[in-house]
Amino acid sequence: MNADLNMKVNVLPVYTYNFLHVNDSTINSSDIKIDNFSTPSANSLPNGVELKKDVSFEEAGSIFRKNKDRIMVSTGVPGEPNGDTSGRDDGQALRTGMGIDVDKLMIELGVKTDIFTVSENTKVSEPIILHYDMADGEGSLSAQVVHACKNSEVTVIMDYNSDKDASGFLGVSTRLLAEEGARITLVKTQLLGKEFLHFDDIGAACFDKGEVKLISLELGGKQNWNGCYTNLVGKESAFNCDMGYLCRDDHSLDLNYVADHRGKKTNALMQFKGVLMEEAQKTLRFTIDFKNGSAGSAGDEQEDTLLLSPDVVNRTMPIILCQEEDVDGRHGATIGQLGEDLLFYMQSRGIDEEEAKRIMIKARLESVSRLIPDDELSQKVQYYIQGIV
Amino acid sequence: MSENKQIVADIDRSLYDFKDVENEKDFYRMEEGLTKETVLKVSEEKNDPEWMRDFRLHCLDLYEQIKMPNWGPSIEGLDMDRISSYVRHKSDMKGKWEDVPEDIKNTFEKLGIPQAERESLAGVGAQYDSELVYHNVKDEVAAQGVIYTDLESALHGEYADMIKEHFMKLVPPTDHKFAALHGAVWSGGSFVYVPKGVKVDIPLQSYFRLNAAGAGQFEHTLIIVDEGADLHFIEGCSAPKYNVANLHAGCVELFVGKNARLRYSTIENWSKNMYNLNTKRALVEENGIMEWVSGSFGSHTSYLYPMTILKGNDSKMEFTGITFAGKGQNLDTGAKVVHQGERTTSVISTKSISKDGGIGTYRSSVTIQKTAKKAKASVSCDSLMLDSISRADTIPAMDIRTDDADVGHEAKIGRISDEAVFYLMSRGISEEDAKAMIVSGFANPVSKELPLEYAVEMNNLIKLEMSGH
Repeated sequence: MNADLNMKVNVLPVYTYNFLHVNDSTINSSDIKIDNFSTPSANSLPNGVELKKDVSFEEAGSIFRKNKDRIMVSTGVPGEPNGDTSGRDDGQALRTGMGIDVDKLMIELGVKTDIFTVSENTKVSEPIILHYDMADGEGSLSAQVVHACKNSEVTVIMDYNSDKDASGFLGVSTRLLAEEGARITLVKTQLLGKEFLHFDDIGAACFDKGEVKLISLELGGKQNWNGCYTNLVGKESAFNCDMGYLCRDDHSLDLNYVADHRGKKTNALMQFKGVLMEEAQKTLRFTIDFKNGSAGSAGDEQEDTLLLSPDVVNRTMPIILCQEEDVDGRHGATIGQLGEDLLFYMQSRGIDEEEAKRIMIKARLESVSRLIPDDELSQKVQYYIQGIV
Repeated sequence: MSENKQIVADIDRSLYDFKDVENEKDFYRMEEGLTKETVLKVSEEKNDPEWMRDFRLHCLDLYEQIKMPNWGPSIEGLDMDRISSYVRHKSDMKGKWEDVPEDIKNTFEKLGIPQAERESLAGVGAQYDSELVYHNVKDEVAAQGVIYTDLESALHGEYADMIKEHFMKLVPPTDHKFAALHGAVWSGGSFVYVPKGVKVDIPLQSYFRLNAAGAGQFEHTLIIVDEGADLHFIEGCSAPKYNVANLHAGCVELFVGKNARLRYSTIENWSKNMYNLNTKRALVEENGIMEWVSGSFGSHTSYLYPMTILKGNDSKMEFTGITFAGKGQNLDTGAKVVHQGERTTSVISTKSISKDGGIGTYRSSVTIQKTAKKAKASVSCDSLMLDSISRADTIPAMDIRTDDADVGHEAKIGRISDEAVFYLMSRGISEEDAKAMIVSGFANPVSKELPLEYAVEMNNLIKLEMSGH
């Protein structure tokens, strides 16, 4: 079937100046060909993981709706931040980074959800690997729920790839629930062709000592949207995010990451390392939101962006919202080209400027790709990076 | 160590919170609300030239078309139908303190303005409600060719063309709803021109007092610092508290010439019924320097983001600000900078303190345009939360459109560190004193940038009282 996409996504948790054009983003594409509405099968299903296939998107949200009171626990203290937009996503079973328009699309087009449930006290050593091998011109929408029950551990790897010149469309929704003491590692590698339209929407909730770790590499695609909203509702719950991206030609990458601290002693660390080349455009919104009651929590958001062309556009919105006294929130950003001192050092070692740039691109991206807990995929990504630089 | 909460006292506003009765005999007050008729009346009162009257009406049209901002603090409590746009004393502006009407003179005496003029200022302008009531500049400064006068006089004098060339060109009325409102009903404010190469050694100061209840103050400050010149301008503002909303929608336009320097210091201490929707902007030419020092303590609601356009190559900007948001206050403050010229530099450094349910928001934007090769920008914003019923939010943005730029940003939000208190206590300092020292130290980078008498005022405003029990 063919579909028109008209979505408002990646809405900032708080609006700011309109002239910056960063308060949200739109996906406007008509006549998108979509062939598949389900998740590709995993190579193998590890022991301890139960898979329920082809559940409707709404029904798959019931696990979150059932826990709505725990996930959206009210702080009881009034006082929204100025320009608050939280009401917009009220209808979602679980708030996600890209927002309610992704849910609406999935429901409208009847996308089926695969639910992976990891039973209590089960530590799954082998990752669940989902390969999205996209053909030229192919379109696909897919959705998953990963439910890690108490004290379980699981790794899910999602590998999006196609020929490097391919065009097409891939939209993915992933919702995660890490119950008490559970740990979910989600790895996403995007190596799609240079004419692909791609979005990837993530929502997560962590109960007491629950943890979500996200390793993400956005290296391909023409127009890309990513969002991740993590509800740190349980005491000592945690969100760790390492993201690497490369944006080149006239490609764009639009990101919205939020760590919503509600539980006590919660922890979030978000690190973004990326490279912009040629006429690429990147917008990064990342927010640490300390709600009242999140005493003892810490949040850190860091960005290191290498700009390698006079025609790139880099927008960054590092937001910290705070309604709790006993917290530690930090943000740091370094944005620019290679430093003269570094270049001088490289040249004094016989490395010319072009080679120095290649080394620094690789260094940034490989620092993330090395974290992939699957040797084969890690090598494939590193090979892809080498091919680019 | 114990987790005792520190208690920080409310700001003692008694110094500023005295009211003068404005009777019909001495004061003219325009009816409340905003219509074409009221705008024409203001224009008539001001004896505007034709172009200004037409400009006001154009601004009124824009005001009616432009929507309220969707991103800042709520301004639902502000009803323009209940705001009088123009209130003035029936006497004219004076050049000598002794000629200023007694009641108004007493107000400024209480605020210490004449004393400050005698001791440490090169010139003073004092605005009471909608009009300047006093303007004076020291002879030796005037002899250097420095012009410091009210804007209305300048509009009719030898600088009329200069005013027309610059008035609301930097802040066009299309900028936002309250810039349009300002263009429609502006009244009062100062015009400063510092000729080429002239360095004014001691500061000029304008003080704005809004005494009338349910009124708006819309003063316009236009400063032109010509090539190689140097000026420090100080702005102070206060008002008594009423139970109805008051509005301040002033506009400041600053033109800093080649190799010139302008420091613009503000201590804003409006009363807590004030909606402070002020717009400030500077344009800096080649190798010019713009320095902002800003203290925001008063107001019920503030939207305040001084903006600098670094147009000339090698031009520089520094913004140092502090915001103290207490009970019932929602202060949304910060800075904006646009780098256009090559090798331009900006440094933004802010501190904010939130307590007792106050909302302090740091909001900024740093834009580096394609032409700004080798630009450098550095932003640092620190927030201190003194309890868990307040808010401290930082909402910065960076938009970078060249690779040949170096941009750094850091932000921190936290509370008074137990370790720092413990360290000071281990050196024999009491817990209360230790916490007081830490908060004073937090505000120190701003207070040290202020002239001494203003630093003292700021410390008086903060008035922190600590208790560990």
